[in-house]
Amino acid sequence: MNLIETKGRSLTFNIFRYDPQEAGDKPKMVKYQIEETPGMTVFIALNMLREHQDTSLQFDFVCRAGICGSCAMVINGLPTLACRTLTKNYPKGEITLMPLPGFELIGDLSVNTGKFMRELAERLKLWLHPMSEDADVHRLETPMSPQEAAKLYELDRCVECGVCVSACATKQMRESFVGAVGMMKLARFELDSRDSRTTEDFYHVIGNQDGVFGCMTLLGCQDNCPKDLPHMQQIAYLRRKMAMAQF
Amino acid sequence: MTINDSAIAESTTNTITTTSTKIKARGRRWIAWLDISQSLSGVILALFLWTHLVLVSSILLGGDAMSWVAGLMELSFLSSDGHGYPWIVSLIAMGIGTLAFIHALVAMQKLPLSLKQQLALRKQMSAIKHGDTQLWVTGVIIFVLLPVHLWLIGSAPETIGPSGSASRIWNDGVWLLYLPLLLSVELHAAIGIYRVAIKWGAARDLNTRARMKKIKNIISVVFVLIGLASLLAFLPYA
Amino acid sequence: MKLIYTDSLVVGAGLAGLRVAIASKERGLDTLVLSLTPAKRSHSAAAQGGMQASLGNTVKGMGDDEDIHFQDTVKGSDWGCDQDVARMFAHCAPKAVRELANWGVPWTRVTEGPRQIVVNAEKVTIEEAKEAHGLINARDFGGTKKWRTCYTADGTGHSLLYAVDNKAISMDIPVHERVEALAIIHDGKRCQGVVARCLITGELRAYIGKSTTIATGGYGRIYEVSTNAIICEGIGQALALETGVAKLGNMEAVQFHPTAIVPVGILTTEGCRGDGGLLRDKDGHRFMPDYEPEKKELASRDVVSRRMTEHMRKGKGVDSPYGPHLWLDITLLGRKHIETNLREVKEICENFLGIDPAKEWIPVRPTQHYSMGGIRTDKTGQNPQLKGLFSVGEAACWDMHGFNRLGGNSLAETVVGGMIIGKYVADFCEENTLEIDTGLAESFIDKVRSEIDDLVEGEGTESPFVIRKEMQRIMMDYVGIFRNGIELDKAVSELQGLLKRSRDIGLKCNKRHANPELVAALRVKRMIKVALTVACGAAARTESRGAHAREDFPQRNDKDWLNRTLSSWPDENALSPELSYEPLDVMKMELPPGYRGYGIDNAIAHPDTEKREQEIANIISELGEDADRHQRQNAIMPFEVPEALQPKNERLSDKLTESGEPAAVRKIAK
Repeated sequence: MNLIETKGRSLTFNIFRYDPQEAGDKPKMVKYQIEETPGMTVFIALNMLREHQDTSLQFDFVCRAGICGSCAMVINGLPTLACRTLTKNYPKGEITLMPLPGFELIGDLSVNTGKFMRELAERLKLWLHPMSEDADVHRLETPMSPQEAAKLYELDRCVECGVCVSACATKQMRESFVGAVGMMKLARFELDSRDSRTTEDFYHVIGNQDGVFGCMTLLGCQDNCPKDLPHMQQIAYLRRKMAMAQF
Repeated sequence: MTINDSAIAESTTNTITTTSTKIKARGRRWIAWLDISQSLSGVILALFLWTHLVLVSSILLGGDAMSWVAGLMELSFLSSDGHGYPWIVSLIAMGIGTLAFIHALVAMQKLPLSLKQQLALRKQMSAIKHGDTQLWVTGVIIFVLLPVHLWLIGSAPETIGPSGSASRIWNDGVWLLYLPLLLSVELHAAIGIYRVAIKWGAARDLNTRARMKKIKNIISVVFVLIGLASLLAFLPYA
Repeated sequence: MKLIYTDSLVVGAGLAGLRVAIASKERGLDTLVLSLTPAKRSHSAAAQGGMQASLGNTVKGMGDDEDIHFQDTVKGSDWGCDQDVARMFAHCAPKAVRELANWGVPWTRVTEGPRQIVVNAEKVTIEEAKEAHGLINARDFGGTKKWRTCYTADGTGHSLLYAVDNKAISMDIPVHERVEALAIIHDGKRCQGVVARCLITGELRAYIGKSTTIATGGYGRIYEVSTNAIICEGIGQALALETGVAKLGNMEAVQFHPTAIVPVGILTTEGCRGDGGLLRDKDGHRFMPDYEPEKKELASRDVVSRRMTEHMRKGKGVDSPYGPHLWLDITLLGRKHIETNLREVKEICENFLGIDPAKEWIPVRPTQHYSMGGIRTDKTGQNPQLKGLFSVGEAACWDMHGFNRLGGNSLAETVVGGMIIGKYVADFCEENTLEIDTGLAESFIDKVRSEIDDLVEGEGTESPFVIRKEMQRIMMDYVGIFRNGIELDKAVSELQGLLKRSRDIGLKCNKRHANPELVAALRVKRMIKVALTVACGAAARTESRGAHAREDFPQRNDKDWLNRTLSSWPDENALSPELSYEPLDVMKMELPPGYRGYGIDNAIAHPDTEKREQEIANIISELGEDADRHQRQNAIMPFEVPEALQPKNERLSDKLTESGEPAAVRKIAK
C-alpha cells in the first residue's frame, strides 16, 4: 500500500440515483467530489458521501470484507464487490457506479439480490437431498473422500452476489434462464456423493433451454466472478453430462 | 424479477420420477440435440470455410493454379472433355447453404428476437464491459451476407476461375459484399471453434483458455490476410 | 395496522436464528424469520476458522471428549460461564457437526497416512490412522488441549450458513428480508412479538408469536473498529433493554481478537495461528513465547490480545499512519497450505492490503471481535423476566462463554445452542397458546410511529452519523482491552451526554420509506443505551476476569466478583442502566475456580473453592474404581438436555481400542 502517493487526491464519483418509490423521480447520474484517504475502498467512500453530502444515498454493505456478497455493483463498467475495490486502482480518479442490471432496483445502488436467490433456490431445489433422512447424529459420521470434500468446498464458495447474473447476456435476454449461479450450485450437488438425485433428476432442471443448452458460453460469469469460481469448467461438465444422457 | 411458474411446477414433480415425467423428458430432449447440432454444424462449417479459403487463395500462385484447382473441384479429371461438372459446385453451395441455414436457425433461438430482449441486451451491454459478449454479433452479419454469396456462386458455378471470379469481384462490385463477409466469417469461424471447445470443456483452466484465445486470434488474422491478398490477386485478371 | 401471526417468531436469520426456526418447523409449528438482510448475508458467514466439537478423529485430537472440551471452555471463560450450559454445549457439539454433514456441509476430511504440519515453528510429520480416513478433520485453536476445531478450509461459517439456510428453504420457512425489529411487544410479564419496520417500504408491522426468539448477533459496532459486520449493532440487546423488564448479562465482557488487519479491522482467522502462524514485533522477534512459554501464540484470545498490547506499549510495535501494529507471519506454512486452507485470508490480504501472505507478513493488531454479553436467558434459552422471550447465539447470554470465549466456540454456539434451545422453543410453543392483545400491539406500533414522526418532522438538529461516530470513539478510547476507573467513568459520563443529544436528532432526508439516515437514527439511539450497559458494567466490576482487564484491579477476584452482571433499563428517561448481580455458586460447580494454565496466575480465591474441591474428591472416591467418566460427571454435576439429544457420542477411539493403538506422532528435524 503506497500511502503517500494516494493521499489527498480528489475523486469524482458518478453515481446512479433513482428512487422508484418516490413519485416523479427519474433515473439520473449525479456527480460527487470526495478527497481520497489512504487505503480507501468504495465502501469507505460511499459511507463518507452518505454521512457528509447526501444522507439519502442507498447502497448495501454487510460484512465489508468481501465475504457476504451484499455489495455487488457495476464499477466503471465491471460488476464486482464494492467493499474490496480500492479507489487507488483508478488512476484517473473518476469512478462511475451503477446498480447491478437484471435485479429489482430498491433505490440508487441497492438491488434485491436476496429475493432473486431465494426464488432460484426454491425453483431449482438448491439443497442437499440426502440419501436417507434418518442419519444418526450420535454415531460416527459417514466417511467422505477428502478430495471430494475439497472439491465441494471449492464450489460452495459462491457468495450469491449476483455478479454472474448481471454479467450474463443470455440471462438478461431470457428471464427464466437459470444462470451461472444456478448451474454452479446444481453442479455442486451433482458432485456430492451424499445427494440422492440422479442425472435424470438434474436433466429435468437444466437439460433444456433454460439450463446448459441455453448457455451461449459468453463467460461473463467466469470473467467477473469475485470468488474466481470455475464456471467455465463446471458448466462444460454439466453440459457433457446432460448431452451424454441422450445416448 | 418473476420466476417462471411452469418451471416451478415442473421441478416440483421432479422428486417423484414417474413414467409420465420420463416420457415428458424424452419429448424435451430435442433441445439438447439442437445445442449439439449447433456445435457440430458450426465445426463443419468452419472446417469448410478454411478449406474453401485455402482453395481460393490458389490465385496467389497464379491463374493457372486456380484454374487447376477449380477444375479439380468440378471433377474435371473424371469427364472426358476435361470440363468437369460445374453443377457439383452448385451442389456444394446448396449443401453448405442448408448447413448454414440449420446452424443459423438453431442459433437463432438464442438470439434476442423480441424487442424486450433486444432492449435488455442493449442495456446490459452498455452497462457492462465484457469482450466475449460482443463476439457473437458477427453471426448476424453473416446471416445477411452469406445467402447472397451462395446464390451468386451456386447460380453460375461455371464462372469460377481466374477471370470469371475476377470480373465478378472487381467489375460487378461484389467486393463490397466479400470484404465484410470475409472479415465477419473469419472472425466468426475462429470464435466459434474457440467457443465450442470451451463450451464442451476443452479448457481445464484459465491459462488454457487464454492460450486458446490467442490461437483463435492468430487464426482469424492469418485467414483474413490470406483472404485480402486473394481478393487483391484477382485484380490483374479483371 | 398490519398484524402477522405465527407460532415461532425468530428475529435474525444467522445460524442461531435459522437453527431455531428449523427446530420449530420440524415440530410442525408455523415459523417466521425476520432479517435485516438476506439470510445468507448474515454475519455467521464471516466465521472463518471453524467450530469446536470433540470428535477426536485426527491423531492430534485422539483422546478428546466432552470432559476436555468442557474444561477448556470453563477455563477460557475464566470461570465466568454457567457450567451446566457449558456441559450441555460440549455434549451436543459433536451431534451438531454430524447433523450439519447430513445437511450438506463439506467438512474438511482426514487423509490417512503421513502429513506435514507446523507446530511451534517446526515442521512435524504426523500420521493419520487408516480408520480415520474420510472422517471429519479438526485443526488447532487457541486455549484448547486437543485439536478440536472442525472446519471447511477457512470458510466454515460460510458453508455452515449456506447449508442451514438451504435446509430452511427446503422446509419452506419464510424469511422476511430487509425488515428491522424496533420494539418488543409485551405487558411486563409476557412477550407477544415485535414491532418491525420494512426497510424498503417503511411499513410498520406487528409480528405476533407464541415465542419470540432474538438471534440478532452481537454489539461490536458500538466500537469504531471491529471485525464485525456493519449490521452487528446490538439492536437485539437494545430491544430487550427497552422493555424495561428483561435483563442483559455480562455486557462488559467484550472480546478483542488478536489478529485483525490494520487499518480496516477485517479478521484473519485464528486458524492462521492454529495452523502454525507466528506473531512478530518490529524487530521480527517472535515475542509470544517470552510471555506465554506454555501456549505461546495459542493462549486464549483475551490473553494473546493483552500480551500484544503490552508488547506494543513497550515500543515494540511497528509504526504506521494508523498507530502501532504487529506482524502475523504465516509464510512458514507454505503457499500450498495458504491457497487451500487459508484461502479467504489470502483474498483479504490481496484485496485490502495488496500483499501476498505466502511471502509477506500481515499487519495485525487486537480489534473488537465478540460480545460475550447479551440477553440473559435460562438454560432453555428463555429470558427469566419476560415469558416467551427467547434468545440464542451471540445475542444471548446463555452463558457458555463467561468473560472470554474460545475460538471456534462461537460458531459452535450458534448451531449447538440453536439445536438445544430450538427444541425448548418448540416445547414452549406446544405448551402455550398465542396471546394477542391487539390494543397492546397497537400501542407499541404507535410508539414507534411517533418516534419516527419526531425524527422526520421534528425540530431536532443533531446528526445520527455524528453521534454514532462519537459513541464509537468513546468506546474505543475508554472501554478497550485495558480499562481503568478514571477512563470508564469518563466513558459513562460522555455516553450519557450523547444519550441526551440523541433525543434531539433531526434528519436531512425526510422520506418514510427506504431512508438510510432514518435507519441510522433509530439505531444509534438504541446503541448508546447498549454502550452504556457495557461502560457501566465495566466501571462497576472492580476486578479483572477474562476479556475484562482492569489496570487498577489486575486480579481475578473470585471472593467478591464470582458473579454475573445484570443490567436493565426500567426508567425510560434515565441516563444509565440499573445494575444487579447474579452469583455463581461454587458449591454446584464441576470445575471449581483455579488457574487457567495461561495468562497471569493471581486470582483471589473464593472461600468455597477448597470446600467444593474436597466434596468432589469425596464423591469420586465414593463412586469407586468402576465408575466411568459419565457416571463420575453425573455424580458431580448432573445436567439435562432435551431427550432426543441425550445419547452418548460415538467416537473413532471407541472403535480403535479394539483394533490397537493409534499411530504415534513423529517429530523430524526442521
